[in-house]
Amino acid sequence: MPKKPANRFPLRPQTRAARRGKFTSKLASIQVILTVTLTSIAVLVTVIVSFALYNKFAKTAEENASLNMQQIIEQVNYNLGLYVNGMRNIYEKAEQQIEQNASIDSRVLHESLSTLLESREDLVSFAVFTPGGSLVLDVPSAPMRRNTRMEEQSWFNAPKKTRAISFSQPHVQNLFKKRYVWVVSMSKMISYTDHGTSKRGILLVDFNFRTIDELSKQVKLGKRGYAYILDSLGNIVYHPQQQLIYAGLKYENVEPVLEYAYRSYLDESMGEKRFITVRTLNQTGWKIVGVAYYDEIVTTKRDLNQFMRLFLPLSILCVIVVSVLLSAKIARPISRLERTVQQVVEGDLNTSIYVCGPYEVEQLSKRFNLMLQRIRKLMDQIIYEQETKRKGELEVLQSQINPHFLYNTLNSVIRLAERGKNEEVVTMIQSLSKFFRISLSKGKNIITLREELDHIRHYLVIQSFRFKNKFRYEIKAQPEVLNCLTVKLILQPIVENALYHGIEMMPDEGVIHIAAELRSGLVVITVSDNGLGMSGDALKNILKGAVKSRGGSGVGVRNVHERIRLYYGREYGLSFESELEEGTTVTVTFPAHYGDDGETVKEGAKSL
Amino acid sequence: MKRIRGWLTLFLCILAAAALTSCSGSSTQRLTVDKTRNIHMIVKMNRGDYWNTVKMGAEAAAKEFNVKLTFKAPDSESDVKEQIAMVEDSIKEQADVVILAASSYMGLAQVVDKAAYYRIPVISVDAEVGSARVTTYIGSSSYKAGQKSAERLVQLLNGSGEIGILNFTNTSDKQESGSESDIDYGARDADEREKGFLDYVARYPSVHVVDIFYTPSVTAEAEELTRLMLLRHPHLRGIAALNETASQGAAAVLQERGLRSIKMVAFDSSPAMMEQIQEGIVQAAVIQNPFSNGYLAVKNAVEILQGVKVPERVDTGTKLIDLNNMLWPENQKLLFPFVR
Repeated sequence: MPKKPANRFPLRPQTRAARRGKFTSKLASIQVILTVTLTSIAVLVTVIVSFALYNKFAKTAEENASLNMQQIIEQVNYNLGLYVNGMRNIYEKAEQQIEQNASIDSRVLHESLSTLLESREDLVSFAVFTPGGSLVLDVPSAPMRRNTRMEEQSWFNAPKKTRAISFSQPHVQNLFKKRYVWVVSMSKMISYTDHGTSKRGILLVDFNFRTIDELSKQVKLGKRGYAYILDSLGNIVYHPQQQLIYAGLKYENVEPVLEYAYRSYLDESMGEKRFITVRTLNQTGWKIVGVAYYDEIVTTKRDLNQFMRLFLPLSILCVIVVSVLLSAKIARPISRLERTVQQVVEGDLNTSIYVCGPYEVEQLSKRFNLMLQRIRKLMDQIIYEQETKRKGELEVLQSQINPHFLYNTLNSVIRLAERGKNEEVVTMIQSLSKFFRISLSKGKNIITLREELDHIRHYLVIQSFRFKNKFRYEIKAQPEVLNCLTVKLILQPIVENALYHGIEMMPDEGVIHIAAELRSGLVVITVSDNGLGMSGDALKNILKGAVKSRGGSGVGVRNVHERIRLYYGREYGLSFESELEEGTTVTVTFPAHYGDDGETVKEGAKSL
Repeated sequence: MKRIRGWLTLFLCILAAAALTSCSGSSTQRLTVDKTRNIHMIVKMNRGDYWNTVKMGAEAAAKEFNVKLTFKAPDSESDVKEQIAMVEDSIKEQADVVILAASSYMGLAQVVDKAAYYRIPVISVDAEVGSARVTTYIGSSSYKAGQKSAERLVQLLNGSGEIGILNFTNTSDKQESGSESDIDYGARDADEREKGFLDYVARYPSVHVVDIFYTPSVTAEAEELTRLMLLRHPHLRGIAALNETASQGAAAVLQERGLRSIKMVAFDSSPAMMEQIQEGIVQAAVIQNPFSNGYLAVKNAVEILQGVKVPERVDTGTKLIDLNNMLWPENQKLLFPFVR
């Protein structure tokens, strides 16, 4: 018996087929499918959601930034408006005092204007000029410079065209010997009284430009953003980079600004995206223009962008890791199952599956284990049966060469020889030799019924010499049954039984009938004797091996019964009918098989 | 095997994700200002309206381009040693760029070479320096400025008369090293202005340059020299002063003496000089663009740091200011840069 019955296991060829399709099947493995699917879905969703949110946030941030900037410019506009109103009030006060005062050169007027001047830090000077350009009044008093060229200046000319207070551009005041001051000049035609006569003159009030400068300088729109002021003609009143503009190093696109009084727009004429916000100061017609660099003021967007660049890969990484782990978790029990099954396919039946994982896998594993157990049991059983069979046969064979039997037979031969019955000696020896030849049958376990019947005949011949005329026998067989196959040496123990238990003790002549016939696909062999018979108890015990033949081969009918059942199935075997003093009939039943090879029959028998 | 494929899938997915996100980057701008640059500016002198305006321009650019500006200057224009020490310091402090207005053309050359050796780009502003390692020069052409001055003075004198020139230099240094070698340790701009002036005047046979005086940058000394010049040349009809201190000194003397007959062309603007022009004592002044010089120097420095190719010379030009144009708005800003 080979150690590894699995080597002959019929499933082996399938293993090779499975290996051939290995590559494609691996790519289509559950883990890969799960990973790819989970990852793509998750990544897609993450990306879409992120971009949707990003766009939404970015848009809001942009709107907020724009709104914020507009508010800042609005505030500047408001502050500047307040400041200009303040300037206007001062101007009106000065005008009032000059007009109401009896004389332009009175001390009182001079003093009150001085007080007014001191009330505000940013007030530089009051001055009244005749339309011809000569100085009538100046507070504080300072010598005039030469070469002032005042007739070229806007503050001197504007009042002649309009009745309202005119505001000049910021300029360097060059009238008085003190220092050069950057001022915004306010001027208007007023009337004053000079020595009793009413005259018309130009009142010039200079305000230090510093305040406006500082007011505008404080505007911070992002890191680089700024605000500038244009007058109604498009001249730059204030610009943080005025120097650069005059030097031609900078350029400000003022054309669209001049067209609108109140507007916000995106300007790209400078090569960079810039938010422009325009507000107009009503009193002067000045335009406050806020300039913010798009990429800077929308810092939220940039931060968001940065965050997204960090967040998106990270979250995608997380998603990928999770999906890989998840799919591995799901696929692991299945692939373990697959591996174990592969092991089983390759012949290792002693393995078992570790039962865990999702419900389905758990159930599958459990059942697979059960199946495996069953297979193992069956295998064990087969092994057991095979062993039993061989043992049975060996026992029978041994029983054939039982020294006792041989001794008796040879004794008979000697006796016959002594009596000079040579013919009978020859018959005896012939039968003995044939008996042994069939017993051995070249090691085959399955022989034809013909051989089996021959075998029993030779046995009976030998025994009939021993039990001199104590019995006679009859063998009948249907011709078609002779070619049927049978397990060998099944009749000899039965006949031996009949001889030693049924007939030996009989006073009369015994008769043994052996008949073999086919009965609906079954071979039925009956061995009947007219011997002593058996009691019901003995009958019950006989197949349990309790009854041991005395002086026989030592192999019971039980051995025969078991062997038949091992080869053909549990429903076949021996059956006994017996009645005391009447005799016993043993019926052997097994399915009919034809063939010339013992092995084939064995396989065929198994398959039943 | 299965494990490897799993990681491979993971890796590919990460790649895909990275590729996806990298598309969302913002567009590049011309000058990135994200990084703070460390730029050192060393000029000739720590006082005077001219250098203050240069500084203002530099500061404007520093603010615009996110630059940390370190401003250094000696007390006097003639202090070459101090200036060399300052450049040395900047090299030690590992400035990203050094912007230098050299007091001496040759005196600063060596230290500039040293800076270049340490891979610190040097931009010269206003006055050139005798090193081939200077990345770019920003300022007006001194030769042309000298010519401009001469042109106006000749015009004022109707093409004839004696002219005295008041130039500037670092006298102390010249005396020390002059005996040992012939190397010209003077400031390049002074020499060039003088050359430009003389070359122009040479075309007019009846115009004679009778004397050239050099002042260190101290107004009192300039006044002394002017008085000396007036004493020596009683027929003097014109004075050309070739820098701010010289101009102020000369103008002060002319005003003090009430000498309306002598025409004067000054150099560089200051409110005091404008007053002299308005008073008619000084007829004109050659004005450089100190604000632009400062601004452009820093701007170019940032460009160099970003690998932008900058021109070898940036001529910021000069202007001639007289009574007629001094109140034009664009000139007002140039002449009176400070809002006070």
